[in-house]
Amino acid sequence: MTFALTLAALLAFLVIGTFLAAVMDVLAPAWIARRPTVGALTYPLRSAAAVLSRQRIMTEAPDRLNWLLAPAWYIALATVGLSVVPFDEGFVLVKLSTGIVLWGAVESLTVVVVFLHGWSPNAPLPLIGAYRYVAIGLPIMLLSMFVLIAAAIPAGSLDVMAIVESQQELWNVLRQPLGLPLFLLLGLSLTLRGPFDYADSADLAGGTSVEDSGAARAGWQLARLFMLVSFSAMAATAFLGGYLGPFLPGPVWLALKTLVVLAILVTLTHLFARMPTPRMLGFLWKVLLPVAFLGLLQAGLEALP
Amino acid sequence: MGISVLDKFGLGAPVPVFAAVGAMSLGRAEHLTLDPGVRLVGSPRHAAILLVTGDIGDKALANLRRLHDQLPHPRATVWWSADPASDWDDPIIVTSSERIATVLSSVWRALLSGKRQSEADCLPDAPPNPWRGVGPNGQGGKGMMGGTPYGRPMAMTGEDIRDGLSLDIYSAPFGPFLPSLPHGLVLDMTLQGDVIQRAEVERPPYKQDTLAATPLVALARILRLLELPALAERFVRAAIGEAAGRSADVAALRRAFLRSGALWAIPPGLGRTPDDVDLRDRLELWWAAAAGEPVAAASFAGAAIGDLLRGLEWQEAMLVLNSFDLDALRQACVEAMEQAKSEEAV
Repeated sequence: MTFALTLAALLAFLVIGTFLAAVMDVLAPAWIARRPTVGALTYPLRSAAAVLSRQRIMTEAPDRLNWLLAPAWYIALATVGLSVVPFDEGFVLVKLSTGIVLWGAVESLTVVVVFLHGWSPNAPLPLIGAYRYVAIGLPIMLLSMFVLIAAAIPAGSLDVMAIVESQQELWNVLRQPLGLPLFLLLGLSLTLRGPFDYADSADLAGGTSVEDSGAARAGWQLARLFMLVSFSAMAATAFLGGYLGPFLPGPVWLALKTLVVLAILVTLTHLFARMPTPRMLGFLWKVLLPVAFLGLLQAGLEALP
Repeated sequence: MGISVLDKFGLGAPVPVFAAVGAMSLGRAEHLTLDPGVRLVGSPRHAAILLVTGDIGDKALANLRRLHDQLPHPRATVWWSADPASDWDDPIIVTSSERIATVLSSVWRALLSGKRQSEADCLPDAPPNPWRGVGPNGQGGKGMMGGTPYGRPMAMTGEDIRDGLSLDIYSAPFGPFLPSLPHGLVLDMTLQGDVIQRAEVERPPYKQDTLAATPLVALARILRLLELPALAERFVRAAIGEAAGRSADVAALRRAFLRSGALWAIPPGLGRTPDDVDLRDRLELWWAAAAGEPVAAASFAGAAIGDLLRGLEWQEAMLVLNSFDLDALRQACVEAMEQAKSEEAV
């Protein structure tokens, strides 16, 4: 019974979060373009209906199964990732002593899923997007591992609940100031957004999504938003104290903090330019990874008795 | 035929349009990017209406037919200040720029309600090259390798020009309607992953109108390639306002441009021409022109397009191609084609 209730809460969290993320995705570009928006609340629904009214096209000799499965895997990964995020003390779908490792697996498998999505239409532009994403995927996963291990050090545990409890006195965002900004970059990459959108980018006319139409397109876009919500909840949990907070119940705190991370990610998407892949690779390996390692070193030294 | 709840909702969305932009019509198309009722999409698969604007020429007509058949049903084609192909069935023709948005949304409505029949394919649903059953293994090649299965040359390993890794190479023509390339340009490229190994000009880009040549619109094209469409929209609006006599706040645009990290994102030295002018310099020239300073447009200074693009990553190559004034690019393309022809003759 508790399991069913928690699952229902998790799905409601994902669906409502996804809707709000889609609305923010309408408001943020309008704000940057200095254009008024009308009906932002219904815009995501109208656009989804418009996409769904279209025929789903197959290319010549595609990998049908993987094309169909890619968005499904993506949604599944977002859900699995969220399953280790505690909504309140003891209120978590999957209580796992190595929860943060499971999240790490979700991150790495996302690279595989995005690659499959670019691979399966059997067309050049999607495949270029897929290659590019994998090239960026490795250093950005390393980055995420460094910051997540650093977040787990004060807790002395890989259990996500323990990481939250270790932030009773001081949130990780203050204890490890490098952690959250670096982790947010991973979020942009996991959800193929703005400055880290190497898979579905405009220079490739839509990259891995070029050949998607109808339900396939709707499914992929929805999956990206699901992952955005799931990632935001994990970022709020690992760095902003998750469900901790005075007066309000734990789940409300988690939801509010998740919304803040969502808003930051959506704004970053439309605010910053994307570097060409070689430059980004250099930036990741030569600048961001050493910085992340410094963060890890700081967390380790602090934890010494 | 009744209209479903889904379609009713879909009617409230902006019309998804893919624009095939011909000669002297890019400015018109840029106007349309500001219309909230229309969404210009990057792939024909994402569109319901194919919008042909301006003269695309006879050669591009074959490309247009293939493009048309890639739109999902229900679909329609709208010819905006363009002459439809003589054999086009029931063409929708618009001449006035004021009416285009209304026409697009009424066609969208007619398509969703079933009042207008979806357009049939122009070409037979067959691969461009025969391959099935050809060769000993039926893949269209000799032995186990080669051939053109599914109409595309099989990717074979080839020498790499950068790090010596022998990866599969892939050759195909790109353009004339790929949105990241200047409209009309067709490049025959050989790629290894996302690295350009060889690029030859097959067709030059179209001549464009004055709005398309304004520095702010040129900068907007660069911003789109840097994944900043919202900022690009601001630039286009300012350019259109300027053309209508309102002065643009270039300083504010410049601040937004720098804050976005657009200049920093571009590697220094990218697309350097023999006169030692790189991509960043060319953007600065546009900024100077936007601020009203008298500056000479950047030229290729004798550089061949193929040499400029060789070894670049895809996004870098698109940035380089879009960093020249359209007239200069057109000129360089014509020269490259003439040189290729004379080399062939020798």
